[in-house]
Amino acid sequence: MSTQNNRIETIAAQPFIITREFAASRELVWKAWTEPERLRQWFGPKGFTGTTFKLDLRPGGTLHSCLRAPDGKEMWGKWVFQEVRPPELLVWVHSFSDKDGGITRHPLSPAWPLELLTETTFSERGGKTVVTLKWIPVNATDEEIKTFNHAHPGMAQGWGGTFDQLAGYLAKN
Amino acid sequence: MVNCSPQLLDRTFGALADPTRRRMLERLAHGDLCVTDLARPYSMSLPAVSKHLRVLEKAGLVRRRRRGRVHSLKLEARPMQQAQAWIEEYRKFWEESFDRLDQYLKDLQAKEKNEHPK
Repeated sequence: MSTQNNRIETIAAQPFIITREFAASRELVWKAWTEPERLRQWFGPKGFTGTTFKLDLRPGGTLHSCLRAPDGKEMWGKWVFQEVRPPELLVWVHSFSDKDGGITRHPLSPAWPLELLTETTFSERGGKTVVTLKWIPVNATDEEIKTFNHAHPGMAQGWGGTFDQLAGYLAKN
Repeated sequence: MVNCSPQLLDRTFGALADPTRRRMLERLAHGDLCVTDLARPYSMSLPAVSKHLRVLEKAGLVRRRRRGRVHSLKLEARPMQQAQAWIEEYRKFWEESFDRLDQYLKDLQAKEKNEHPK
């Protein structure tokens, strides 16, 4: 139980933000995210191989990609871009898909059901690039995306608060 | 991989997407409340509060108990724990991608340096 509570508290701090600093210029990091041949070489968990990457980089455009898992299974994904502002901001709705671009559940885990509104910012710091990825699970109806946009940038704090409160609650119960 | 019903997870995140409902959950984390007590801080009609409550109940995040005419509301933590397990999986997906991006950028810059020495 105590291990689990620790885990919950860790997540409670910043549930939907991942930040990483890369020792490269912002232009290069932006290229690595927005040129399919480059993206293919790093996107996906350890052991996965990028195969197909079809990209139409503009608001309303999509990235349709395929990752091959170590066991050979294919995992198709789809991003629908909402905002493209080189070299500093990318916003897209991320979902799993089939090879024809239809939205599906996660092929390896049925418990991966949702579309994720993802906002990635690229900022320069002393010749390095800080990438901050914020995301929130949505069923991407217009209304829910609007809710997210209104809540932003307080979104993460709002959720963080909820998770903090619940971490306390879980510890007691 | 996380093992829980995708429909339940959809409903959990759907219920959590709304800030009013998140605040309701935060208040219930401090202890059980009746509907009128829960409604009090919001400039919202009782039917509107009830509507939010139904969403939370459907997601399994809140349970309603009837004591005579008073409906007492209790927070249910389990769907929240499942949501957190799922969040962790997605975080891992990106952390591992970032490891690979880091290596890719290093390799690329080393290669450029070799090809175009200053």
